Amino acid sequence: MTTFGVLTVALLVTLAASLFLGSNPVSPATVLQALLDPATDTEAIVWGSRVPRTVLGLLVGTALGMAGTVMQGQTGNPLADPGLFGVSAGASLAVVLGVFVLHVNSLGLTLALSLVGAVIASVVVFGVAALGRDLASPVPLAIAGTAVSALLGAVTSFLVLNDAETLEAYRIWVVGSLSGRSLAEVGPVVLLLAGGLVCALVNARSLNNLALGSEMARGLGESLTRARLVGLGAITFLTAGAVALAGPIGFIGLTAPHVGRALVGGDHYRLLPASALVGAVTLLACDVVGRLIGGQAEVAVGVVLAVLGGVAFVVIVRRAKLAVL
Amino acid sequence: MHLRRTTARLLRAAFVPLVAVLALSGCTNPNAAAPSAPAAATSWTYTDDVGNTVTLDHVPSKISGFTDQVLSLMSYGVKPVATFGRTDVKTDTRFANYDMDGVAIVGNTYGEIDLEALASAQPDLIVTAAYPTDREGTIDTTQPYYGFKDLEQQKKLEAIAPIVTIKVGGAGLDVIKANTRLALALGADQAKVDEAQKAYEAAAANLTKVAGEKGLKVAAMYADADGVYLVKTADEPETQLYASLGVDYLSLNPGGNYYWDIYSWENAAKVKDVDVILLSNEGYQVADLRKQATFADSPALKAGQVFERRVSPLDYSSQARNLDTLAGQLSSAQKVTR
Repeated sequence: MTTFGVLTVALLVTLAASLFLGSNPVSPATVLQALLDPATDTEAIVWGSRVPRTVLGLLVGTALGMAGTVMQGQTGNPLADPGLFGVSAGASLAVVLGVFVLHVNSLGLTLALSLVGAVIASVVVFGVAALGRDLASPVPLAIAGTAVSALLGAVTSFLVLNDAETLEAYRIWVVGSLSGRSLAEVGPVVLLLAGGLVCALVNARSLNNLALGSEMARGLGESLTRARLVGLGAITFLTAGAVALAGPIGFIGLTAPHVGRALVGGDHYRLLPASALVGAVTLLACDVVGRLIGGQAEVAVGVVLAVLGGVAFVVIVRRAKLAVL
Repeated sequence: MHLRRTTARLLRAAFVPLVAVLALSGCTNPNAAAPSAPAAATSWTYTDDVGNTVTLDHVPSKISGFTDQVLSLMSYGVKPVATFGRTDVKTDTRFANYDMDGVAIVGNTYGEIDLEALASAQPDLIVTAAYPTDREGTIDTTQPYYGFKDLEQQKKLEAIAPIVTIKVGGAGLDVIKANTRLALALGADQAKVDEAQKAYEAAAANLTKVAGEKGLKVAAMYADADGVYLVKTADEPETQLYASLGVDYLSLNPGGNYYWDIYSWENAAKVKDVDVILLSNEGYQVADLRKQATFADSPALKAGQVFERRVSPLDYSSQARNLDTLAGQLSSAQKVTR
């Protein structure tokens, strides 16, 4: 079986696990019946909880896996994660501002705010980097991203530490979770994710060229500005969509590309889909684990990932050839 | 829930026997000072709910403290010189009925107390809460009292003035009595306390009557993305008190974890069959609850019988008002469960 075959099977297994396992032990037969005939899903556990979070897990995991791959390819930095260009920090600040200034307390508005914040932050980062010099080197982008993230993070901390209500809302949001979401508000975000997906795939050739170095890429006829712009679009749309749907979820964007590279090598035409699959499998699997270890409560997937992802990353760093990039 | 308030809430526990014992032992005792001290006649001694004894050479007149406790004192006419809160004190509606002239606000965020401002108010006493960490009423002395950042800050506060704590856990009436005992020791007018107690008893009788007539099942809860947090009736002094007055709370698992159980949204059906929801004003609100497919068909939610659950200070006067509010909410609601 090919690597992609194995990854697809793994995804199907985790999708099934996500539908059949949960903090409320419903028998597999009941779940199956509810899936086939929604009318029998009287408690709405399957269609009201498991299906939405499975779909969300698939979307968010795929997006983060791809965004991380584009980010690492664009920066040539194996330790870059999708939040590097200020997307997560921008989303966080927008959510915090929404609570602090407007007392936003609803799911839909939080989603919209995080989306707007994420997009604004990455536009600012790109603007700052583009103002300075040409975009041949990834360094200005990374520095601008780090600086903007730090600034936004400082403002977020200031607000959060000065207002208990804001801290509360931020605390819940920042953990990252697939629970309690419905698919009703997902529509526009899916469009955004689709846009990001297209940008990422379009960017694959440029990423392969960039892996040879900026000079070589230019020599191969690559327009570096366009390559950076498309890449930034992919990262922004994918990460902003993911953050809006589930809050800032760490480690997947960082680790999925490493696993993908170990499995299929450095060709981005193969690496992007592989990382997407790895991201989806990881997120769904961790979400299922979180549902099973909390009794009738649950452990948010962000927390599970922070624990398992941290360990996984240490293993990867110790074993994998990071110089591959 | 609020990190801080969660801690606080999680820290509420039943500790009735000790509270009662301390209540008996903690009266003003002019004979407590050494017999040889001539100033004994004017000295003031008070043993608080966690067993600390404060002795001063005069009855403290300049009181400072955490908003929740200060509010209870103010309800009995004891006006503080300084207060600090978990949220912005200026916009805290609970102070709306009181004259705040001459009350220095020295903190608006949990643990952030302006020590210099507090010191310059020259308080004789600092009053705050101590929340138990379990049902048995254990007070964790390795942690600071409620409202303080850490033990280091607590030490600095102790250097400004001695600290008296009210244990907020166990039976609600015991907490009311503890707040009242302190107010009286600080010179509250007995007549005013009696009047408040009378109003409270009338409100309590009314609530009992309404609750009996209506026979409604009530859930006291908080909700967020994690699920529903169902308060354990006996672990929260306020719900304990109202239950003792006849309010029928949904109480699924009185043992186990302290203070509340979390029901993930998959499990939310277990807590949805109630007539009335008393919902925390933080976290998910009605519109968000309606979006949860596993909870949307809760009879209380469908009937629009969701009311804000306000935690009010535990004293006769504040509770009289709160009991009337709750009685009004229950009277306006209908039985919608089978």
